Amino acid sequence: MKLQVLVDGRAIEIDRAQLEAAAQVEPGVFSLLVNGHSFEVRVLPGKPEARVEVRGTRFAVEVRDPRSTSSTSSARAGTGRQNVTAPMPGKVIRILVQKGDAVSAGQGLVVVEAMKMQNEMKAARDGRVIEVRVQDGDTVSAGQTLVVLE
Amino acid sequence: MFRKVLIANRGEIAVRIVRALRDMDIASVAVFSDVDRGALHVRLADEAERLGAPPSAESYLNIERILDAAKKHGADAIHPGYGFLSENAEFAAACEGAGLTFIGPSPDSIRRLGSKTAARTLAKRANVPVVPGSEEPATRLDHARALAKQLGYPVLLKAAAGGGGKGMRRVDAEAELESAIRDASSEAERAFHNGEVYIEKLVELPRHIEIQIAGDRYGNLLHLGERECSLQRRHQKIVEECPSPWIALNPEMRAEMGEAALRIARAASYSNLGTVEFLADQYGNFYFLEVNTRLQVEHPVTELVTGLDLVQLQLRIAAGEQLPFAQSDVRWNGWAMECRVCAEDPENQFFPSPGRIAQLREPAGSGIRVDSGVYPGWTVPLEYDPLLAKLVAWAPDRTQVIQRLLRALAEYSVVGVQTNLAFFAEILNDAEFRAGRLYTAFLADLIARRKPRERSPEMELAAALGAAAASSNGSPVRAEEKQDGSRWVLDGRGRLLR
Repeated sequence: MKLQVLVDGRAIEIDRAQLEAAAQVEPGVFSLLVNGHSFEVRVLPGKPEARVEVRGTRFAVEVRDPRSTSSTSSARAGTGRQNVTAPMPGKVIRILVQKGDAVSAGQGLVVVEAMKMQNEMKAARDGRVIEVRVQDGDTVSAGQTLVVLE
Repeated sequence: MFRKVLIANRGEIAVRIVRALRDMDIASVAVFSDVDRGALHVRLADEAERLGAPPSAESYLNIERILDAAKKHGADAIHPGYGFLSENAEFAAACEGAGLTFIGPSPDSIRRLGSKTAARTLAKRANVPVVPGSEEPATRLDHARALAKQLGYPVLLKAAAGGGGKGMRRVDAEAELESAIRDASSEAERAFHNGEVYIEKLVELPRHIEIQIAGDRYGNLLHLGERECSLQRRHQKIVEECPSPWIALNPEMRAEMGEAALRIARAASYSNLGTVEFLADQYGNFYFLEVNTRLQVEHPVTELVTGLDLVQLQLRIAAGEQLPFAQSDVRWNGWAMECRVCAEDPENQFFPSPGRIAQLREPAGSGIRVDSGVYPGWTVPLEYDPLLAKLVAWAPDRTQVIQRLLRALAEYSVVGVQTNLAFFAEILNDAEFRAGRLYTAFLADLIARRKPRERSPEMELAAALGAAAASSNGSPVRAEEKQDGSRWVLDGRGRLLR
């Protein structure tokens, strides 16, 4: 039986029999023998894509389940609303914008401190602040929305 | 010699000190905050005591709690490690007041060298050149403007009480000065409870070279050579080595800089270990930067090249022993290099990456030393700095030590938190790095010219097979460890594909 796998968006068809080349050696770590070459592959599962690292290079890999027809390629926000999220857990130490402010690409929005470093979350493109969802001093988790732009 | 020593620190350095104590058959007492109950240093120490809540102010910076723990456990000395209270004269004095030996210089020496402005004055009196700059903190904006103009841009803002790059900012033009002072001051206030910053001239293309010094309580002082720490990101050292490639080409400079460092140490009546930091330009000029009155993070490179154990040396000196060797006995053999392995994501602006380490394999083998503070299953807290471990290698020469580090990096495996491991391979393979042409902005320039990482069809197939095997096996990693904010991942991948 064939499996369809998207590696950074590029489709690779693999046969289930090929999975015999993979041996799970430690939690999240697979030893792969490909054409006689030995690779260690680290897999962090995720939906729809797993984050995979091979020799320091990262790949986003989506394994298409043949039983399911939904092939949700993740939506990329090009225009419209944009949620600016915290990339890591931390503490909000400064909010640099207010609701209604016009912001330009690269402008700082919120400063989050984690592991003793202050990190300024910046606007990815020009827009307007339609919501500030955090307050000074809030503890935020990874992926939490800080500011909504449009 | 001491019978029992309390370690007022955490992470890899606390583990390092436990090891030195055990090597000397001295009992160790660890301290911990609530998030560090299961930390490696607590597991390895003979005894341990809770300090308090996770924020440093309530735990590793809480002098009263630490002294209480030392008394309760019957410790006769305290080793402060680096960071936290290690350069706090008040803490050193409080230890002495409580009848405990502080393993480090006297409170008076810390005071005289701890303030950067006072240290500069002392260096100038000792006939050691300093970078031109302010003698007083930049408290008034008009004064700061006038001084920066007089020095000429670019200038550098530095926290008076600082270290480790906190509260430090490069300023290229007057328009940036006001906001830079505000940011640097607030960062310094948070990190050190002291928001004072001062201004100095920025020396262009300088190397960061520091001299390790050691002195006993009887006035014997000597130096243990240099470390080159020019590879820094946001003023945080990332890769350090001994010898300095520049000093290897100009060997007379080791004695010259060593002697300058000792003049400062003598002027401050220094005892125990310390490090005198210099900026050096390519013409043989060097300028005093500051003295770190403690053990350095990067001390292992000196240990591997000199064959000394610097933590044991600190303990002997603090216990009142004389330096067991003379300057002429110090030999530098081969080359050592260190990589600071941090929980941060080089594919995503080096954002910190705290979380649970699902899997870990640290390298070993000939010439490799790993000073680590973590283990598989450990959750890296977000309250403290992101250093997980130091990967250190020794080899007869620089080319071989680089090769050894590359080998060790290929063996190193971490799942669950992002690390900068792959970034070290980029550094070590860089032609300019291999040529030893280093300067403090080297990494910023390297990052600007980074290329997408290598990817072959075989690697892609391996990635596909690995992910497919993982999904058919069921997830070995718990749901909460899954990737964070996908937008950042997508951004990183977008860069990769361009």
